[in-house]
Amino acid sequence: MRRFKDHLFLVYLVASTIFVVLPLFHILFCVFANGLPVLMKGGMNFLTGVLPAPGDGLGGIGPAIVGTLVLTVLATLMGLPIAVLTGIFSAEYPNSLIGRATRTLLLIMMEFPTILVGLFVMNILVIPLGSYSALAGALALAIVMMPYVAVYTEQALKDVPSRYREGAFALGLRRRTVVKILMSMARKGVVTGILIGIAKVAGETAPLLFTAGGSYTVYFQGINRPIGAVPLLIYQLVQQPYQNYHEIAWGASLVLMLIFLAIFLPIRLSLKEVKL
Amino acid sequence: MNAIETENLKVWYGDKLVIKGVNLEIPEKTVFAIMGPSGCGKSTLLRAFNRLLELNEIARVEGDVKLYGKSVYEMDEVVVRRKIGMVFQIPNPFPHMSIYDNIALGVRYNKIAKNRKEIDKIVEWSLKKAALWEEVKDRLKDKASNLSGGQMQRLCIARALALRPEVLLMDEPTANLDPVSAKKIEELIFELKKELTIVIVTHSPAQAARVSDYVAFLYLGELVEVGKTEEIFEKPKNELTEKYLTGRMG
Ligand SMILES: Nc1ncnc2c1ncn2[C@@H]1O[C@H](COP(=O)(O)OP(=O)(O)OP(=O)(O)O)[C@@H](O)[C@H]1O
Ligand SMILES: [Mg+2]
Repeated sequence: MRRFKDHLFLVYLVASTIFVVLPLFHILFCVFANGLPVLMKGGMNFLTGVLPAPGDGLGGIGPAIVGTLVLTVLATLMGLPIAVLTGIFSAEYPNSLIGRATRTLLLIMMEFPTILVGLFVMNILVIPLGSYSALAGALALAIVMMPYVAVYTEQALKDVPSRYREGAFALGLRRRTVVKILMSMARKGVVTGILIGIAKVAGETAPLLFTAGGSYTVYFQGINRPIGAVPLLIYQLVQQPYQNYHEIAWGASLVLMLIFLAIFLPIRLSLKEVKL
Repeated sequence: MNAIETENLKVWYGDKLVIKGVNLEIPEKTVFAIMGPSGCGKSTLLRAFNRLLELNEIARVEGDVKLYGKSVYEMDEVVVRRKIGMVFQIPNPFPHMSIYDNIALGVRYNKIAKNRKEIDKIVEWSLKKAALWEEVKDRLKDKASNLSGGQMQRLCIARALALRPEVLLMDEPTANLDPVSAKKIEELIFELKKELTIVIVTHSPAQAARVSDYVAFLYLGELVEVGKTEEIFEKPKNELTEKYLTGRMG
């Protein structure tokens, strides 16, 4: 009877795992099955060309890909330094008022609906400037990215055993130097956080809705002009009643997934862990 | 001359008083052992000497600690920690750095050497002092994490010595080592006291008897007994000390 129960539990475990993982594989499968033919048919032009008129073939999603790259890079430039410093600060001064406040704030920000971030940026940037822009899109993405990077940085630093901190201070090093050493010990966690932040915003749609505007027939025109992004394009295409737009959306989904994997895999694999 | 003197030293963690007014005189160029049951405040006391307690936001210190007559609390804390080195219970060389860099780091940042050549010299000198040179001279670029526990601890001693400290604090430096490595460190302590003052926390009365010139016995944050090692081991004045030395107390 006991044996039987154990078995039953195992079956239950496996079944529920499959149940959870299945949708994920289903998505992966669908994206490949529907996206790959589009990519094959469109060829190189699908990656470099511009959006066609409704019913006028596949064209390409070049501006959207470049837009995603530009937005991600800009968002990283804006968000990363502040986020890493914030993470360091809350790890170094966990009991200070600012340290405690930031940590709470960061956790709230992580759960904050990203569409509201878009609305906020629209209010402070889009409306005053009178136009959607790459800058506004990037700012919204930076706000979404920062809490992830900060929280991961903080956690990675806290995961370094305190004996190394003490050891560093005991050598007569100043706080700045100690933090540098601890950061190099925590780099795996920090880089993971940065990657998660980047991957997250590279796939975000909601923060861009009221900020980036979208631009798919011309390439990047400047940071004060509207800009496209792959996820935003997908979102906008599937709402249209045109067959060729739906095909493009599938192709774009596959591209988005590949971008996602391209950010994650190589760096994760090559990152050496510090043995503690 | 006393290397270290404390005056009515008190330490709180939050509102818990853990060092309750300690007056201690540690003569220079001796080995001074601090003993006492777990939790009596030995580590706390050491960390008050080199101001490492300041890393702990809830720790508060009252009274004074003097290094050769000068209050450490009136000195720059970085200078204090350079002059009062510390070795910990768990060897803590930076695992991702080379053996060489573990020593060079403190030397560079404390501006003890001006150029690469001088740093090379100090690295060699301190590794020799720590009796590690012969074992690592061909692999200075190796990661510190590849060393054995005993070697790591001697590397930690070397990097402390590289800063030419006046006092070396050792918090149970052999507690996590095998007997052979522990013996090496004890021999090292014997050599080092010719040049500097060593304050060692130990749980082993036998070790205190072997290496120290003076012993202080700490109990619940209070100094119960201090004196020459052989006198205290022969004839402890305090009942608690006797109980501890004869192993009738944790
Ligand atoms: N960071 C801290 N926060 C609060 N209380 C602490 C902290 N560190 C130590 N204490 C308390 O202070 C007292 C003294 O601790 P300490 O580590 O100095 O003892 P110890 O004599 O070194 O003990 P052991 O022999 O176990 O190393 C203990 O009661 C301990 O619980
Ligand atoms: Mg201790």
